[in-house]
Amino acid sequence: MSETSIVGKTVLRVDGPAKVRGESRYGADIDIPGALFLKVLRSEVPHGLVKRIDAAEALKIPGVVRVFTHADVPGENSYGIIVKDQPALTDKVRFRGDALALVAAETDVAAKRALEVIKVEIEELPPLYDVWAAMDEKAPEIHAKGNILTVSRVKKGDVDAALETAAVVVSRRYTTQRVEHCYIETEAGVAYMDDDTLVIKAGTQNPHYDRRDVSRVLGLPINRVRIVQSATGGGFGGKLDISVQCFLGLAALKLGRPVRIVYDRRESIIATGKRHPFFVEYTSAATKEGKLLAVKAKIVGDTGAYASYGPATLNRAAVHATGPYEVLNVDIKALCVYTNNPFSGAMRGFGTPQMAFVAESQMDLLAQALQLSPLEIRRRNVLRPGSLTATGQRLDKSVGIGATLEAAWEKACQVMPGLGGEAR
Amino acid sequence: MLNLSAYYQPDSLAEALALLTHSGGELRPLAGGTDLVPALAKGETHLDGLVDLCKIPELRGISRVDDQIRIGSLSTFRDIENSPLLQPASLLREAAAAVGSPQIRSQGTIGGNIANASPAADTVTALVALKALATLESAAGSRSVPVSELLCGVGKTKIRPGEVIKEILFQVPPQGSSSGFIKLGRRKALAIARMNLAIIITVEAGRISRARVALGAVGPNPSRRPALELVLIGQEQSLPLIDTFIIAAEKEVSQMLGTRPSVSYKREAVKGIARELLHRLFFGTGQVVG
Amino acid sequence: MDLFQLEMKVNGEAVSVPVNPGLRLLDVLRDVLHLSGTKEGCGEGECGACSVIIDGELVDSCLVLAPQAHNREIITIEGISADGELDTLQSAFLEAGAVQCGYCTPGMILAAKVLLSKNPKPGRQDIARGIAGNLCRCTGYAKIIKAVELAAAGLQQKEGEAGV
Repeated sequence: MSETSIVGKTVLRVDGPAKVRGESRYGADIDIPGALFLKVLRSEVPHGLVKRIDAAEALKIPGVVRVFTHADVPGENSYGIIVKDQPALTDKVRFRGDALALVAAETDVAAKRALEVIKVEIEELPPLYDVWAAMDEKAPEIHAKGNILTVSRVKKGDVDAALETAAVVVSRRYTTQRVEHCYIETEAGVAYMDDDTLVIKAGTQNPHYDRRDVSRVLGLPINRVRIVQSATGGGFGGKLDISVQCFLGLAALKLGRPVRIVYDRRESIIATGKRHPFFVEYTSAATKEGKLLAVKAKIVGDTGAYASYGPATLNRAAVHATGPYEVLNVDIKALCVYTNNPFSGAMRGFGTPQMAFVAESQMDLLAQALQLSPLEIRRRNVLRPGSLTATGQRLDKSVGIGATLEAAWEKACQVMPGLGGEAR
Repeated sequence: MLNLSAYYQPDSLAEALALLTHSGGELRPLAGGTDLVPALAKGETHLDGLVDLCKIPELRGISRVDDQIRIGSLSTFRDIENSPLLQPASLLREAAAAVGSPQIRSQGTIGGNIANASPAADTVTALVALKALATLESAAGSRSVPVSELLCGVGKTKIRPGEVIKEILFQVPPQGSSSGFIKLGRRKALAIARMNLAIIITVEAGRISRARVALGAVGPNPSRRPALELVLIGQEQSLPLIDTFIIAAEKEVSQMLGTRPSVSYKREAVKGIARELLHRLFFGTGQVVG
Repeated sequence: MDLFQLEMKVNGEAVSVPVNPGLRLLDVLRDVLHLSGTKEGCGEGECGACSVIIDGELVDSCLVLAPQAHNREIITIEGISADGELDTLQSAFLEAGAVQCGYCTPGMILAAKVLLSKNPKPGRQDIARGIAGNLCRCTGYAKIIKAVELAAAGLQQKEGEAGV
């Protein structure tokens, strides 16, 4: 292979020197003299209709410049990467933490005090905390189109017939938990008007998408919105969604003054997306030689109050439900369901890690039932060149799982002497 | 930022006590601040003002006179962890080393650890095993109270308004003693103890003549467990004694926790930490054989 | 409330500023002195992103009330590269690939700095203990430990060359 300047070489990261010197500017580090401080008033109840927001007392506090509510949003008050279902400031509360009002003040302290005296009247609705209750026909609708947002299906072959002929069938239910990304930098940024262009500098993984949704929410032509990604202290999928961008844009646009916002850790955890909790019913069937015959699964993902990346996550879950194994007959149904929980979105793997836990647990149980080693049952089923995936794609180039499995086993035997005895 | 209406930084104890007395309970003393500062900054705690003790020399220093050790209440966990004078009380050094993280150990103080009255306070378990006394000073005078009696519930102490913990005093364990501290946390650093255990044993003529056992995070405050001390006294240091002790420890924890949900976990967990600590004290190693 | 005349040495320079005594040291460093290399990650002493060195010891500046730093000597990340030259630790972090998002990096480097000042030849366990109060969320610990090892070796070599 010919010598290249980059491939196979150690390359110092271009942002490295500034980062080790502490000179990189993250969202909270950008110093704009005269910037107003923004704070968000968030709902304490999980589900309800906003009847009235009274900011009269807040506006009397010295230093408080303005309090915004849903009535002040100039454009379409809804954003979202896949489904435009999340308001910047809401008139219907869908989770505890939904944004009700935005305070702009000369000082951080004045903004905080304002939050304490804004009066909000909410007509509470029954909260739905679990996906099963949310899917009930009589459940109150969290969004106008109902609580089941999407249904993804993967079907191949004849699962029912395969289950009849299988030597072993294992059925289990699995649940996985909600996970916070906990990137070490909380959400933060600044915004200002550059002539008639709105400039927002914030930590984000998704500046182009931010630009489209900010322009939609503020009713600005897209060429009048500029998003600059500040140095971003981790994201892991959690900074793909809008967080502070619309707040910054709304206040800078309406007030014509620079503004800044920083979430503290508590607000970051309350207000932003999580990994989807999954509820899975999964049946696997195999021959007596341990060859997978069929997989049937129902996957329900709790996307919480807003869609975020939920439909994509559940789609990926359906597609990856059989793991890295060849299965002839497949019937997967994956539902993305609204609840009044914190919203769930993208997090490292988009639903695949949840399904890896399920599919691998099933492989171990099949191995146990057939008295095979966990390694051997995997060897007999891994995808290889020529395999058909659950979605019917033929893998005609390289497939790494078989070699990976053997390499992992070899390494395990090296570091854990005595392990080799169990191999068959 | 903290919402304070008054802040004082006196440079003598007398001045601090006068401020506290004249405020009529409005002001509270501030030691290292590792608990109080974030609680105030987040608005979880409200108080009118602070008397910051950090510049008062009388509250610092670790010294030994004959067999008595004095630790100034503003001594940090780092001071304690590194003090050669505390070599004979290694349980206290180990407890200080188990607190939080390097950052917390630089800033947090032993006086603050007592006054905070957390059920899981690491150094308090060691101090209770040492039968340490706290000297409380106020403008009216001074009194001496065993640390174990100063604590009266989660976050509660018998420290009176206007009083400050000046120092902690205890007797060095006698010749032939060894001591240790062990903590069980969800991870090694920055974990609040799920349980901690401090033991001092004195061996004479091949037998344990004296034993002190204190358990933390099993009740509202760390406490001595005389029933467990009796298991050790008069016995030779042996593997069977460890087995006997852990059975007794399991029983003790079960009784202390009654029907609380943590009982099934903690009565099992105490066996592990007790085995490890006694192994270390008896045979100089934490390794559990067999 | 009366302002507190805060006097301290920051990165070798004497500083005297009137501050609201309710400010945390972190707030003074960032908002008053504009030293934004010190980060806030959690505000409660769990993450170490706000670590600074006070009189040679590592502390979380979010847990220190500004007046508690009165008459003391503070070193922040901005203060460790003498004359613009990278410190051995800073170079080692770059070389080992120990920097990803970079938000934990200033605190991590200062934690390592204090560790090496007390223990110039730390083992892996010592390093792990030295940085135990600093969280990295991008999963960089292995490379961070490697970086500290590299720096320790580099410092040893420098001392050797200097004939110490």
